Amino acid sequence: MTTSESALKQVLADVFGVDASTITDDASVDSVEKWDSLNHLNLVLALEERFNVSLTEEQIIEMLNYPLVKAVLKEHGVDFA
Amino acid sequence: MIETHESGLREALARVTAEGTYSACLAAHHALEKLREAGTVPTMRLGVLRNFTIEPLLPVLDAEAARDGSLPVTYLGDFDAIAADALDSTGPLARFHPSVIVLALWLTPLAPRLVERFPSLSADEVQAEVTRVVTYVRDMLAGLRRWTRAPILLNNFPLPPRRALGILDAQREESQTEAALGLNRALRQLATDAGSTFIVDYMSVFAAVGSAEGLDARNWAHRRSPLGRPVLLPLGQEYARYFRALRGGARKCVVVDCDNTLWGGIVGEDGPDGIRIGDGPGATHTSLQRELLNLHDRGVLIALCSKNNEEDVLEVLRTHPDMLLRESHVACHRINWDDKASNLQAIAQTLNIGLDSVVFVDDSVFECGLVRDRLPDVVVVELTSAGSDDYGSQLARRGLFDSLVSSTEDAQRTSHFKAEVTRRELQSTAGSLEDFLRGLEMVAEVGEAHDEVIARIAQLTQKTNQFNLTTRRYTEADIRRFAGAGSSAVLYLRLRDAVADLGLVGVAIVTTAGRIADVDTFLLSCRALGRGVEAVLLDEVRRCAEARGCTTLRGRYVPTPKNAQVAEFFPSAGFAIEAAGPTPSFVAELTTLPCPTSPIAVVRIPSPRSEPHDHI
Repeated sequence: MTTSESALKQVLADVFGVDASTITDDASVDSVEKWDSLNHLNLVLALEERFNVSLTEEQIIEMLNYPLVKAVLKEHGVDFA
Repeated sequence: MIETHESGLREALARVTAEGTYSACLAAHHALEKLREAGTVPTMRLGVLRNFTIEPLLPVLDAEAARDGSLPVTYLGDFDAIAADALDSTGPLARFHPSVIVLALWLTPLAPRLVERFPSLSADEVQAEVTRVVTYVRDMLAGLRRWTRAPILLNNFPLPPRRALGILDAQREESQTEAALGLNRALRQLATDAGSTFIVDYMSVFAAVGSAEGLDARNWAHRRSPLGRPVLLPLGQEYARYFRALRGGARKCVVVDCDNTLWGGIVGEDGPDGIRIGDGPGATHTSLQRELLNLHDRGVLIALCSKNNEEDVLEVLRTHPDMLLRESHVACHRINWDDKASNLQAIAQTLNIGLDSVVFVDDSVFECGLVRDRLPDVVVVELTSAGSDDYGSQLARRGLFDSLVSSTEDAQRTSHFKAEVTRRELQSTAGSLEDFLRGLEMVAEVGEAHDEVIARIAQLTQKTNQFNLTTRRYTEADIRRFAGAGSSAVLYLRLRDAVADLGLVGVAIVTTAGRIADVDTFLLSCRALGRGVEAVLLDEVRRCAEARGCTTLRGRYVPTPKNAQVAEFFPSAGFAIEAAGPTPSFVAELTTLPCPTSPIAVVRIPSPRSEPHDHI
């Protein structure tokens, strides 16, 4: 599945309650105010919904910033144009 | 700033409606948070107690409550610390003053062996586990009821997705499934006993979604978060049905289009023999008619609104052999070539209901758009033939007509309203209003609440919006308390006239302290308005106060968006203002209140507690 990065950024924007333009490669657990453990769970649910994937527990734990989220989705065959 | 946040919320809610995604709910949840932070006052205070990680559901509850017009704020109790809030009348939940309490229970932490090691239990041990869970829930409910009368939404338990005994489970009386069903039956009984406590049917919601889909074993194992993503939206929507019913927001009337809605084809072109109803190509239309009959039996009013020749439609209703819906089910109709928004307004006026009680059902994108645009209070169900849901399911699935109380009066409602239409026709040909009212030969039966009428009285307090001085919502248990206490009385009024029995249409609750009697509640069902019934009921309040040794009657007007028509009720009845302000109070000496001259004959029913022979 190939999709645009803006779709991914919109998911993070919805989950963390911020504007999609603020989601850059620097976005991480440390830099996004509302990226706490509960919203991390919401992020998992929202990503699984949007990209129709099922993440493993290891992947859930490792995707601590935006580039890693992208990398995890790539492992599930989601490519960003 | 608030305007920006309001439009942000509107956008997010539009996405929830259009996409139906969890992401959109999260966006709505954040938009609500910003609105609250900007100082908007919440209209719903939701207290959530839970023994599992319910957090992923909360954004959906937010979004669905907001979609229903509420602005919620949530207190979330600590993880698996229900007792700390439930049993503490001065604890953080009590200080939050919840208007609704969600008691969210997951069975596994309460009875792990029942869920995970069922084959290891003897029949007695199964029973002991069930009893332990029931006792725990009873204690929590009792604890809450010691300090709050807020409605409690208690869930039942989904059936286990995998039965540990496999196919043997269904063969045994003492099975895992039977244990869960028995537990759920016991919960329902607990809810009834606790008063104003309602079962949220997780079992049915999980069954509809699929219990395996509804459970996220991975998030349960790692985060104690059992709710699977596919069940989050259906579960949030289910809770919203309770929120709506609790705030008295149930819709009362469904207005239905005819061509390509009630039947397939266009009667004016295809003729009565050419339209499609019944099995095969007309099945979806028949499913809609079946759902309309179910709604009719539940007391929902059915009206028709169609661009057609009136005779054509009536002929189908009267003579088409495959029609399920007949003229007798229809409270009123507007079949003409006017625009549908104007016709809906006329229908609401004829039936004496607000547009916010109306649901409009049509297959036309144009008509639905017009009504949405011109009458935003009306809920529009735009039927679509795409997808697997038939028209009947499309009308039923949102639970727009849900109520938490039922009474036989509901089912009679259409006949009352049909009589109302007849009366209005009388009115338009009769002389003065006075003559007309006398011609109705009205008889009011008044008395104090007793068992047979308590359900109806509670229902009226929950549903009546227009002629309602204080709009206090009460449960059956509340009404029983008022009726049983020495310092309060619950009066009811039934009305019949030459055309029909309108049933129980008026309620007043009076509390007394020394020489002062306070009117806690004073309401009339909208079907009894414009007849001078209020004067009769107020006179009964006066008599009741007098009988209890009071000399002064005090009333209060609590304004809501719906009850402006009663703002001047007390002054016009001879009361003087006592205290102005947002909820003004009024007083009158009993001796100065005028005796009403009314076209209504009054029959007083003696209180069931007194000896029947006292009555002559």
